[in-house]
Amino acid sequence: MIAAVRDYFGFVAALVRSVQREGLSWSASVKAAWDIGVESMPILLVIAGFIGSNLSLQGHAAFAPLGAQRMLGMFVSLAGVRELAPIIAGSMVAAKAGTQMASQLGVMRIQEQLDALEVMAVDPLAHLVAPRLAGIMLALPALVIVSTFTMIAAAYFAAVHQLGVGGATFLRFAADGVRPIDFAYGEIKGAVFGAVICTVSCWYGFHCGSGPEGVGRATNQAVVTSAVLCVVLNYLLSEVMYGG
Amino acid sequence: MPLTIPVPEAEPPAPVIEVEGVWRSFGENTVLRDISVDIPARRTTAIIGPSGTGKSVLLKHIVGLLTPDRGQIRVFGDDLHALPRKQLYAVRKRMGMLFQAGALFDSMSVGDNIAFPLIHHGEGMSEAQIRARVEEKLELVGMAGFFDRPTAALSGGQRKRVGLARAIVMEPEIVLFDEPNSGLDPITSDAIDQLIRDMKAALGITFVVISHDIVGTVGVADYICVLERGGVAAWGPTAKVLQSDHPMVRAFLSRNLDLDGLDGQHLPLPTARPGEAD
Repeated sequence: MIAAVRDYFGFVAALVRSVQREGLSWSASVKAAWDIGVESMPILLVIAGFIGSNLSLQGHAAFAPLGAQRMLGMFVSLAGVRELAPIIAGSMVAAKAGTQMASQLGVMRIQEQLDALEVMAVDPLAHLVAPRLAGIMLALPALVIVSTFTMIAAAYFAAVHQLGVGGATFLRFAADGVRPIDFAYGEIKGAVFGAVICTVSCWYGFHCGSGPEGVGRATNQAVVTSAVLCVVLNYLLSEVMYGG
Repeated sequence: MPLTIPVPEAEPPAPVIEVEGVWRSFGENTVLRDISVDIPARRTTAIIGPSGTGKSVLLKHIVGLLTPDRGQIRVFGDDLHALPRKQLYAVRKRMGMLFQAGALFDSMSVGDNIAFPLIHHGEGMSEAQIRARVEEKLELVGMAGFFDRPTAALSGGQRKRVGLARAIVMEPEIVLFDEPNSGLDPITSDAIDQLIRDMKAALGITFVVISHDIVGTVGVADYICVLERGGVAAWGPTAKVLQSDHPMVRAFLSRNLDLDGLDGQHLPLPTARPGEAD
């Protein structure tokens, strides 16, 4: 475990050195950002939409007995913007893009394509990992914004059309519940989650065991580790941003 | 027709790859034990031996993919494992390697695979020049007209040929072959051996061939290094190694070759390749 953690940080340090030495391909990074964004978007819209609706249902059930239904908008915006939108976007990207990174690089490892790149004097970290890292750090903050507004829109729809809360009241309290800095914090969380998902998934791909079983194991470990780290980091970042 | 064994040279050319006292272990398993071999320039050297004797591990050390626990590997006079990454890459640009299964990028066409090193390192080459160079190498390996074919649709032998075209597209001074015959049927295997012989004649560069296909290897090699349990059992010009008294070398080679039939520079070919008669 300690050796793996040390190896992971060594991998990240080597990645930084590679980018310093070889530079970053912006065209490859933008393409990676586009692919990650497009691939993760459909599932993110569905999940964020239903979580937003559920927030409304549960919030309404909690506030209604107290006669505080109008607080629903504030509850949804606080929970959604500050916590749920970033972590949901992170989880979906880990499930879609993270698994893809681990499996693609794992297959390249077992088919000696990573070695072939090295022998051709092309740095695999700069060529394969750096654009994915830049791409995910561009795409994930954008997906956090999509997740935030999808969640609030779905919550609004459920609150107004299903639970009978006034639309204007919902929106006024939702706006009062968050500050502009909260959106910036969400973006920071998205970028941090993106960096973790990419480096963890690529590290597992690079260290993939032999055969299809090795690729499967690497992919599985990549998504589990990324998701757990995102949840833990979400707590720590929230503590730094909102605690005290 | 018997195999023609190259006449041993009085003095081998200066070495281009010098392996000196290399040791390498993986956990408890010591794979390379004090290996020392000088690989002469512009000659074909075969590194042979039974499975699990460290041939591929040695090859990976020669290209710097693995680092020895002890010892030194000098390529073009540079200590490969002491070089900063930028200089290591400068040395690698002068080398090409054919991987066992080709190691082609399946998402790219045949032409794009071969052009890959040129796109990254062919400074000043126009798109037309890159295309012309790739077409030339495709023709050299007998794959003319395959430029736009998807890599995923190639057979095993074709993948090796394309891998070879990619290995020589930068016009390197050293080409390394990792088991060029593995996984191929005897006819395709003979065709690959012939291709190596043709390229040896056409390019006049240093070839290092890792193989356990003795018949094919003896037919192309000027020098042979036989590995046994991670150490060197025999090393020298092909004709001399074929006459070695080393019991393991003799036992290993005589399984596939009629060593008693060695007549000067000619060796009778076996009637069938290993496994072919079964």
